[in-house]
Amino acid sequence: MTAPPLRRGTRLGSGTLSFTFDGRRYTGQVGDCAASALLANGVRLMGRSVKYRRRRGLLGAGPEEPNALFTVGTQAQLIPNVQATQLLLREGLTLRSQNRWPSLQVDLASLLQAGGGLFGAGFYYKTFMWPSWRSYEPLIRRLAGLGDAPLACDLPMPATEHLDCDVLVTGAGPAGLAAALAAARAGARIVLCESEPLCGGELEFERGRIDGQDSDSWLAAMLTELDRLGVRVLTSTTVVADNHGEFIAHAEPGGLPGSNTVYRIRARTMIAAAGALERPIIFANNDLPGVMLLGAAERYLARYGTAVGRDLVLFANHDRAYASAQRLLVGGMRVRAIVDARTDAHSAVGLSDGNALQSLKGSLATAGVEILSASAVTIAEGGRAVRAARIAPLASGGHERRISCDTILVSGGWSPALYADLHGSGAHAYAPELGSFVAAAQSDWHIHAGAANGRLDLAAAMSDGHAAGTRAAAAAGATGDSGSPPQARGDPPPRLAPFARSPCPLVGEKRQFIDLQNDVTVADLRIALAEGFSDIEHVKRYTTLGIGTDQGRSSAVVGAAILAELKGESPAIVGISRSRPPYQPVTMRSIAGFHHGDAVMITRRTPLHDWHAAHGGVLEPMGLWMRPRFYRASGANAADAAVAEARRVRAHGGIADSSTLGKLEIAGPEAAAFLDFMYLGKASTIRVGRSRYMVSLREDGMVLDDGLVLRLAEDRFLATTSSGHGTHMLSHFEHYQAARWSARGATVTDLTDAWAVIVAAGPQSRSTLAQLLGAAWQGPLAQLGHMDFTAGRYAGQDLRLLRASFSGELAFELHCRPAIAARLWEALNAAGLTPYGLDALDILRVEKGYLVSSELNGQTTPLDLGMEALVISSSACLGQALLDRPAFHEASRPRLVGLRAADGRAPFLAGAQLTIDAAPTRPCGYITSSVYSPTLGEWLGLALLARERAAEGATVMARDPLRGRNTPVRVVSPVHFDPTSARMKV
Amino acid sequence: MSTLPASARRYSAWSLLRARYAGPGYWRPLWSGRNLQPAYDVVIVGAGGHGLATAFHLVRDHGLRRVAVLEKRLVGYGNVGRNTTIVRSNYLLPENHYFYEDALRRWETLSRELNYNVMYSPRGVLDLALTNDDFPALARRGNALRLAGIDAELLDLPALERFAPELEPRRKRRFPIVGALLQRRGGTVRHDAVAWGYARAASALGVDIIEDCEVTGVRAAGGAATGVETTRGHVQAEQIVFATAGHTGTIGTMLETALPIETHLLQAMVSEPIKPLLNSVVVYVSPGHGETYICQSDRGGLVMGGHLDGFPSYTREGAWHRLEDVVRGALELFPRIGGVKILRHWAGTNDMTMDGSPIMDRLRYDNVFVNAGWCYGGFKAIPASGAAFAQFVATGTAPELIRPFRLSRFATGHLLDETGQGPFPVRL
Amino acid sequence: MTRLACPFCGPRELREFEFHKTGPAAGGQGEFERVYLRVADPQLSIEHWQHVGGCRAWLLVHRNPSSGLPLAVELLAGNAP
Repeated sequence: MTAPPLRRGTRLGSGTLSFTFDGRRYTGQVGDCAASALLANGVRLMGRSVKYRRRRGLLGAGPEEPNALFTVGTQAQLIPNVQATQLLLREGLTLRSQNRWPSLQVDLASLLQAGGGLFGAGFYYKTFMWPSWRSYEPLIRRLAGLGDAPLACDLPMPATEHLDCDVLVTGAGPAGLAAALAAARAGARIVLCESEPLCGGELEFERGRIDGQDSDSWLAAMLTELDRLGVRVLTSTTVVADNHGEFIAHAEPGGLPGSNTVYRIRARTMIAAAGALERPIIFANNDLPGVMLLGAAERYLARYGTAVGRDLVLFANHDRAYASAQRLLVGGMRVRAIVDARTDAHSAVGLSDGNALQSLKGSLATAGVEILSASAVTIAEGGRAVRAARIAPLASGGHERRISCDTILVSGGWSPALYADLHGSGAHAYAPELGSFVAAAQSDWHIHAGAANGRLDLAAAMSDGHAAGTRAAAAAGATGDSGSPPQARGDPPPRLAPFARSPCPLVGEKRQFIDLQNDVTVADLRIALAEGFSDIEHVKRYTTLGIGTDQGRSSAVVGAAILAELKGESPAIVGISRSRPPYQPVTMRSIAGFHHGDAVMITRRTPLHDWHAAHGGVLEPMGLWMRPRFYRASGANAADAAVAEARRVRAHGGIADSSTLGKLEIAGPEAAAFLDFMYLGKASTIRVGRSRYMVSLREDGMVLDDGLVLRLAEDRFLATTSSGHGTHMLSHFEHYQAARWSARGATVTDLTDAWAVIVAAGPQSRSTLAQLLGAAWQGPLAQLGHMDFTAGRYAGQDLRLLRASFSGELAFELHCRPAIAARLWEALNAAGLTPYGLDALDILRVEKGYLVSSELNGQTTPLDLGMEALVISSSACLGQALLDRPAFHEASRPRLVGLRAADGRAPFLAGAQLTIDAAPTRPCGYITSSVYSPTLGEWLGLALLARERAAEGATVMARDPLRGRNTPVRVVSPVHFDPTSARMKV
Repeated sequence: MSTLPASARRYSAWSLLRARYAGPGYWRPLWSGRNLQPAYDVVIVGAGGHGLATAFHLVRDHGLRRVAVLEKRLVGYGNVGRNTTIVRSNYLLPENHYFYEDALRRWETLSRELNYNVMYSPRGVLDLALTNDDFPALARRGNALRLAGIDAELLDLPALERFAPELEPRRKRRFPIVGALLQRRGGTVRHDAVAWGYARAASALGVDIIEDCEVTGVRAAGGAATGVETTRGHVQAEQIVFATAGHTGTIGTMLETALPIETHLLQAMVSEPIKPLLNSVVVYVSPGHGETYICQSDRGGLVMGGHLDGFPSYTREGAWHRLEDVVRGALELFPRIGGVKILRHWAGTNDMTMDGSPIMDRLRYDNVFVNAGWCYGGFKAIPASGAAFAQFVATGTAPELIRPFRLSRFATGHLLDETGQGPFPVRL
Repeated sequence: MTRLACPFCGPRELREFEFHKTGPAAGGQGEFERVYLRVADPQLSIEHWQHVGGCRAWLLVHRNPSSGLPLAVELLAGNAP
């Protein structure tokens, strides 16, 4: 640590704050970011690089920062990888450095540097093969990664806000402000998003004059006017994605998740005015703490009142460095030298404002600043941090210099932040005068402004912004007067000469760091080129250039420029790698939004849900529904309870909640014909007051679903679907109604939630109902035949009584209004029919060979399920045509069968595969369902077994190696119990 | 073990040491930029994983001499470099699991075979069960695998807790976790390395890999294809192989053949790197968020994917709503990473067939072959696909392993519908 | 996010709609062609969508799958190919 440098107050507040970094207590000021506070405390070492674990300090002052990433918080609630530059200091903040052991100062893994030359680009593709990658991987994984994985996270729900505007402006720098003002004046509705907590961009330190005022006054007046014009200004908010025309913006105030907002912004047009990112110049040891971007030093001074060092050397390739130097001098730092990589061709002589520049240089010289033109910093010297800069003239023959300093500020120019992937094409073009890429094709809907168009000086940026705002407003239909463009004067135009890296002997290139986070050096690019990775996309993937958490902000463009130099090609040909959204990393909790935890999806509850929950029903998800598997009162565990409930139904009776069944009403003069098309078998032959079990096919001939179809009237049917398929079947019916029956008088209406369904099953069901429903129901109950239904009233509400059974017992479905469901259920329960859950239902239906989704799994045809008669009786129903395909008639196709253990005792489980014997052959089938039947006293199964093996009496092996069972089983009829259905037809 | 010819620079720790002193000039291009020749025995269209692997095996296993791989853009720029790096063979249907098991066995030794570390990491693939009703289907699949000699284990809750405590299986969730099907040999492979490794090996064997060369048409005469039209002119070919994942539909159009394929977008995304959190690959499907599969790269990023974006697209621009779904699933699994950030998301275009399984067959002409329709499974199939397809092209007879994937199966009904989803890539 | 102009509800966010399938291949008369074969035109995709988050109407949507932009939206009812 060096002595704390000079400190003034921050712009954003006053007062002091206490925080800790790596266990040590520090004091910062209100308005500080973590980086500025640490800088002000003389802390330089803030991180370690990923690969070599080299010591790293701050490079930047914003989202480009690759080095200073902290873990924030305490054990229970850690947020890893927080950029110190983005993190607003708050009282009591606990910060930890990352990716080092045992400490930031002493990191044993930094010994890896000793093997530096071994670990060049792609080294891991060439080794770690013996004996296997897996033997190295655990260690490599521990060495990699950045912050620790959090142990807990209890972030509050982020806010979501939907905005609609004519023009979305991203970036509230000079260009963005001018654009917003012009468009707003023209009458357009504007949303202006600024990533930083403050508007103004580089006006923060550039302090030019605009429309006759100093820039601070202009900015204040400007924000007042934007407010008056109704412009929605969102600071600390970044537009992160263009979701096919809907923009996603993310606000994480203070750089730490906690009060985040996701904006979904619908805009007629978008103006990208995100400014530019300063590029470093690469030289040997440029990763030492103390080498920073020049603009970052200006920001630390202007916003936080923090000097980045005491003795500075500036290294740049443009004129703006001189203005910067002047401001840093005024800020109390000593500028030892300005190293200007340009030759005399770039001197100010003959330029319109050349005199101003000359006088600036003069005053700098007077202040003791040495100006070394046509020179470059070639090496940063120092062990733990910068101690000196070695400077060499670029022309041969000059003398090398060594200037002591604690900080080297570099500026290689600016790369427009292109928002490439927020703009469909992401088209860009090389601008040699910038050494970078500017936006190319633009439409009225995606307009770039300011730096993105290469307008780097204040005046040009603002007039470009004004033009963009005017154009966008017009495109959005706003026709007002956008006023005249702001007249601005700021720093001299940069007059930049592209200069990406200093001369360096080959061996030194291993210390010329391009991507600081991933330790990608110039030497790595050479390796990549030697190996034929010459396209920028290949180089990026092979060397990991620009894939760090800064998303290449500090490295991508300069890396491409150096690649161009090494290839001897124009940067225009090399291009830049395609960046991927989001434009800035987005916190996962923000992306998840409201849909998190219990709210990840809706929960569908039947009208009896609360009763089940209050009476020991064990509710489990079934699709989006919650359904009771069993009731605790029935037995000590799930299996016992299910057996007891099933036994009770057969012996006496029980009630079950089947409200989850899908219920679709099909009505209209051609309803019957429509259903004849939608189902296998004929709905048109069902008599009014009767129902029929029916099966629908998917387009490819597989069974889609089954259920009962009730004919309510000549032109009205109720089709029930299985619980899991209700939503799907509704869409499916509606699809064919629209596609083929729209002109033919059949409508589809979803009544799933309009009716609760209580099943009363068992020998006592009829007598209990008779006792309960009252005199009006006695006749119908006595006369109702199997599959008949009747309608009436109960407790003043509609009740439909359908005699149908999914248990094999005499059973009734009571379709009632949800409002009376609980009352009816309680009355049935009080009358002695106790509830049974899904597990008991499963036992009962397997005993009878009834099918559920285990059998109707989308892979079975009706022929597989023994429905030949239905197929033959149908004519041209949906899916039938493709049943003729030969594969569906082969002997290897499955057939639904019943299974019992050969010894009548052994258990076997659904999911077992069936083979013809115990040899490890290809299976000939599998068990779809299995239950222990309390009625029959043994395990029963349903299976799909190859037809050639499916003869009743045949024995096959149930192979269940997963659960360690091998059970010989006998093929029987799928109807295990009461094959004549005498019990349900009484 | 390796099959590289002597001319290629062998990779080893020793080579790294040599290079340290010799400088970058020590290294050689992985694949050479030879010039496009006017005629080849086999022209392979598409320098992705399948195309390059096919080229490699054509030369190494079948002794073909004049083989070219023509690539529209860059080696490995398509789906081989855009997927979530998962390899596994735990498919239900025998046709699929035998094929993918062949691939998995090859993955196990591929690094040494290619002398290029593709970082096969058998960290285990977990398919989570969310209710007891999920076990029969998982058991059906796992038992089928075991009978085929492929590893699979069914984990109940305590076993899952032991294997992957980081999942906190007992944590209360809207859709709770009750167990899993585990394939221990499943895991991840460094995706780019596969393209580069095969390209290097194929090039060393004499295959011409031509980048920036788009095939725009097929020239035919007398009932057979005679070559391809490219942006670099006409190239004669005895046989033509299309391995253009995601764009096979347009190849069909080029050959005037409608295919049972829709083109869809599949996204992947990665978080910023964190220290090891997740030590296996987890597939988590719930009615809540849809599907999330997630693993952690060796660099530390959580790599995630899910369902298709949901409608046909060639844009390679993933929709935000799918990103939301996948992230919701990730946070259902790991609520504690709510404060971690998503760094990048991207998308690839996928051939989605009408039964969810690939197509490896001839197309229109006897000497035109198409290796396509990979749906979600293209990356993990590469080594098996390359070897088997090369045999198909070289001998004219499809090996047993890939015969089930013929195009005619849709018409005959010999469908390979793993999930029972039917002829709709997007579930209604 | 692109909007689809539902003939009943007007322009609505894409997330309210669900894609089901692309139309059958041109000239495909038989049931096999209708169910299995697809047109692969990168410039035009004719698709069946449902406005599930709205009026539930089934729609015939013409879209350019290379740009993602809808070209025309009409009711499937009465316009099914």
